[in-house]
Amino acid sequence: MKMSVVVRTTTKMVSPFLVTYAAYLMLYGHLSPGGGFQGGVILAVAVILLITSHGYRKVRRRFHFNWASLIESSAGAMLVLLGLAGLAFGAFYSNFLPTEGGIILPFNVIVGLEVGAGFTFVFYILLRWVESD
Amino acid sequence: MIPIPVAIALLCAFLLVLLDTLRVREAVLKGVFLIGALLPAPVFLFVGVGSEVVGGWPREAGIEVAVTRLNMPFLVGEIVLFAFVAFYSLAYFNLKDGKTRKVLALLLLLHAGLMGAFVARDLFNFYIYMEIASVSAFSLVAFSDEKGAKRAAFKYLMLSLLASYLFVFAVGLVYMETGYLNVGLITENARDSRELQVALGVALSALVLKAGIFPLHGWLPDAHSKAPTPVSALLSGAVVKAPAYGMILLLPALPAGEPLRLALLAVAVVSIFFGIAMALLQKDAKRLLAYHTVSQMGYVLLGIASLNFLGAAYYAMAHSIFKGGLFLGIGSMGRKSRELGTFGYRGDAVMMASVIALSLAIGGVSPLIGAYGKGLIYSNLSWPWKLAVPLGSVGTLVSFTKLNSYLAMGRGVKLPASWKLPVLGLALTALAGGLYLGLGLNPKDLLYLSAAFLIFQLLKRAGVFEKSPSPGGGEVGEEVNRLTAVMVAFILLLTLIQGV
Repeated sequence: MKMSVVVRTTTKMVSPFLVTYAAYLMLYGHLSPGGGFQGGVILAVAVILLITSHGYRKVRRRFHFNWASLIESSAGAMLVLLGLAGLAFGAFYSNFLPTEGGIILPFNVIVGLEVGAGFTFVFYILLRWVESD
Repeated sequence: MIPIPVAIALLCAFLLVLLDTLRVREAVLKGVFLIGALLPAPVFLFVGVGSEVVGGWPREAGIEVAVTRLNMPFLVGEIVLFAFVAFYSLAYFNLKDGKTRKVLALLLLLHAGLMGAFVARDLFNFYIYMEIASVSAFSLVAFSDEKGAKRAAFKYLMLSLLASYLFVFAVGLVYMETGYLNVGLITENARDSRELQVALGVALSALVLKAGIFPLHGWLPDAHSKAPTPVSALLSGAVVKAPAYGMILLLPALPAGEPLRLALLAVAVVSIFFGIAMALLQKDAKRLLAYHTVSQMGYVLLGIASLNFLGAAYYAMAHSIFKGGLFLGIGSMGRKSRELGTFGYRGDAVMMASVIALSLAIGGVSPLIGAYGKGLIYSNLSWPWKLAVPLGSVGTLVSFTKLNSYLAMGRGVKLPASWKLPVLGLALTALAGGLYLGLGLNPKDLLYLSAAFLIFQLLKRAGVFEKSPSPGGGEVGEEVNRLTAVMVAFILLLTLIQGV
């Protein structure tokens, strides 16, 4: 399902900005409105936009199906490990980093990766049924 | 320390997906799965009873988790059942198939979700973990190759999600009124108001639906009978217990009047006998067991509605063990055809002993574990309600006499030891648990057993067992609509009855 030149060019231009914006939301989630989930959704939207405009086959070559699965599961594991790391400092998920916001920053980044990869993964799986590129 | 077991199961679930994507050998996957399934139990033993707030935050801001006298039985039942089911599913699922390997991750998510729900002392956290368990349960039901399994999973999905959304709406109302999500703080701050009455009514009906209790049980027989055998055991044994624990969190926290409790008692009693009546008419062995879940959850609700939470918790634990064992046993014997009379345990002493022991346990016969919870529930009921317990026991025994008489007629097929041992293990646990809780032989049980046998013979003469209700069918959307309408009526009943 390849779309017209206008749509394809626009998506190509918008996508990098979307990824930047997602990174901003994740990295500044503890200071300003935003956070991991929102950043992750926007991250996924960047990929999903590319898929809808350029077609599944072409995008899949760059963002492989297994990558999404890999990032998703390793981010999930890291999320639990972050909580377990807090154990050394007293409690599960204790806020042990001395930086501003503590573990909220790494937490947001991991959640962003998890959500972004998860949504992309779900979209890939749903596309399997309409694979009429 | 209390969140650690849940974290272990979650971590192993994520690791399984990761390793599966990296195409690691099958033995490694099995190892990770077993670690996730079995390690939480010793950690819980190590942690012991207590309460803490995750991350060391103040109680008002953080998420409180606790292991108390009340949720310990739930946890024990779930962990014991899951250990046996884990061994069983390693033999049951074909892990060579790339698709089936994901099943292990889903099972671990279910495990983590249930444990998380049982340790929660916070309504929202409880909701989240119950959802993790439910979502894995839908997909596990859909994993079955059986005809109608996808349909059953869809029906389960729609109704369970409806209940979840209503539950979270009710949690929102509670938060709005009291300003807290922590159950202890809600108890201190709740004042009787219209909003809280509505919240209690809506939340309780949502939990009743998820627990599969009588008027809202419509999704349960299909989902529990069509699922793969180890999943059926988990669904009936553990997943329906999470909403029961939710009721234990909610009922004492919010001001509930006498009329509401009476209505719940009535619902529980109807559920007990409706489940038995429907089970007597079933020809499909797993469907028969599924209807018994409706009946047995009635006992749990009976305990909860009479504010005898300890009794409900112990009965839930007992139900986890014997119903899980029965599902594993009947499911492995009837793998080809589940029609009663086409399979059985004749010539297979291990299976015969285990299934008979588990059948006696579900009937509440004494040295086995079911009797303890039943005794606790019985001792705390006022007079007319008291009758439901022994009458229900006799009814259950009648139904299981029927099941066993069919099983005794059928010739047993040769089963691998890895299928038989979990069933035997659960039967022995049922016995050991009963002895541990200090049960002895009770002469009254002989009376129940002979009454059950007599009624069974009478019903057989009358030809009741030849009849079999049609399993429904038709448009699945229509069915969901009908069940939703019942749900709405039930919510209205529970909400309005409190204003009296």
